[in-house]
Amino acid sequence: MLCYNCGCRLSEHDFCTACGADVSLYKKVIHVSNMFYNEGLEKAGVRDLTGAVTSLRQSLKFNKNNVRARNLLGLVYFEMGESVSALQEWVISKNIRPRKNIAGEYIQKVQANAGKLEAINQTIRKYNRALSLCRQDSKDLAVIQLKKVLSMNPRFVRAHQLLALLYMDGQDWEKAERELRRCREIDRNNLQTSAYLKEVEQMLMPEEGARPSVRRRKDESVRYQSDNEIIIQPLNVKEPKSGGVSSLLNIVIGLAIGVGVTYFMVVPAAELKVRNEEQQVITRISSESDAKTARLQELESQIEGMNENVTVMQAQLESYVGVDGTLQNTETLLNALAAYMEAEDKAAGAAAAAAELDAISQRVNMEEMTEGFRRLYEAARGEILPEVAAAYLAEGNSLFDSRNYAEAAAAFELAYAYDAGNEEALYQMAQSYRFIGEDEKAIAAYDKVIELFPDSWRAERSRNYRAQLAGG
Amino acid sequence: MINFEEELKKFHPSLEVEDAEESIYHQDLTDFADMLVKKIIGSGQEVTRETPKE
Repeated sequence: MLCYNCGCRLSEHDFCTACGADVSLYKKVIHVSNMFYNEGLEKAGVRDLTGAVTSLRQSLKFNKNNVRARNLLGLVYFEMGESVSALQEWVISKNIRPRKNIAGEYIQKVQANAGKLEAINQTIRKYNRALSLCRQDSKDLAVIQLKKVLSMNPRFVRAHQLLALLYMDGQDWEKAERELRRCREIDRNNLQTSAYLKEVEQMLMPEEGARPSVRRRKDESVRYQSDNEIIIQPLNVKEPKSGGVSSLLNIVIGLAIGVGVTYFMVVPAAELKVRNEEQQVITRISSESDAKTARLQELESQIEGMNENVTVMQAQLESYVGVDGTLQNTETLLNALAAYMEAEDKAAGAAAAAAELDAISQRVNMEEMTEGFRRLYEAARGEILPEVAAAYLAEGNSLFDSRNYAEAAAAFELAYAYDAGNEEALYQMAQSYRFIGEDEKAIAAYDKVIELFPDSWRAERSRNYRAQLAGG
Repeated sequence: MINFEEELKKFHPSLEVEDAEESIYHQDLTDFADMLVKKIIGSGQEVTRETPKE
């Protein structure tokens, strides 16, 4: 302790041994300042920052040159988030004692990091802005600002308190309690924090007849904080017994509901889907069936047409190939001609050929035959038949001369048949019929002679014989 | 029951860094010791209070 007058170190006496000034009261003032400093230090040690501030300020009121108190006050301010107030104290302290003063180190640490200093400034500006918003009744914006402030400076006690106040005003008691408990962690005996916390706890744990808006029975739960969360765990909660009747009933009800939902909602949809698919298949099959039916009908009509063609062709083929077919007739004609030409007995050969030609003429419709066939046939007839007729004529004459008139008539008849232009055969036939008494046949033959050969002598005789037969 | 408006009045804006210098200059650092010294001066003793030079 130094003399306030001369600056010499004081002794235990109540006066300055250097200048003689009365220092009794002065010593007491300094002692009181030191006492408050000690008190402040003790409170700061137990985190009663508000109390420490009070004590240290008291200390400085008694002795403004108490550097230790001022430095400590700065530290306490800095811990409470009041960075500028802390810098103030350190600057003043530095001015009081420029050398060997830890305040200089504190100032250097803060100012060394320009970003840190700017962050501090921003924090303060945002806090001031939030306060201004509160006064303008923009509480939601104020809450947002304060949250930003606290994210930058989590130890800013006043920001915590203001935010808690806003939560309390919005009746968000849980959040208010959280903020106040953070305050309490930083500054243990802050009266404002305590008052707010009391209010919040009253709202969270109302007495009987009080507001029922928030109910919490303390004895039935335990509360603890984990990081930034407050966990409330009820104590007297019994776990429900497993396997109880109610559980079983619930399971059964659940199953019934599930089955009902499946039956009424899922199954119809599935059935509808299956039906639609089946219908599509049926439609497709029907259309294919129709197409195939149409194709079948078309093919059947084609087959029918082809069958008709086959029938016609078979008939044509038959006409060519069959017994009475063209080919066969042609073969017969050729055979007949061949037999005629090869025959040693020309008469016999001619007779046989004539018989064949007769047979052919019976079977065949000449108009249906080819031209070649017709020409050959006519040629054959023209060649063979007269020869046959001559043979029969000779035979008839021979028989007529032998007075075998019946056979002669037959022979003459054949001769005439093979040669319709043979006058002699016709006349002799009529004569033979007359001699055998076949008058009608004779007359008919005589008429024929007269008709066909009117200027011949046989026609003249035929008239006479006819007249005899007709008159007789 | 806490009144929001009343409680809000207890909150004051914080000093910004730019305002710290002015605040320091305007701070009244008169302490009890100064008053005591003044009183002693008033009683006729010629004294001046020296700041400790350690």
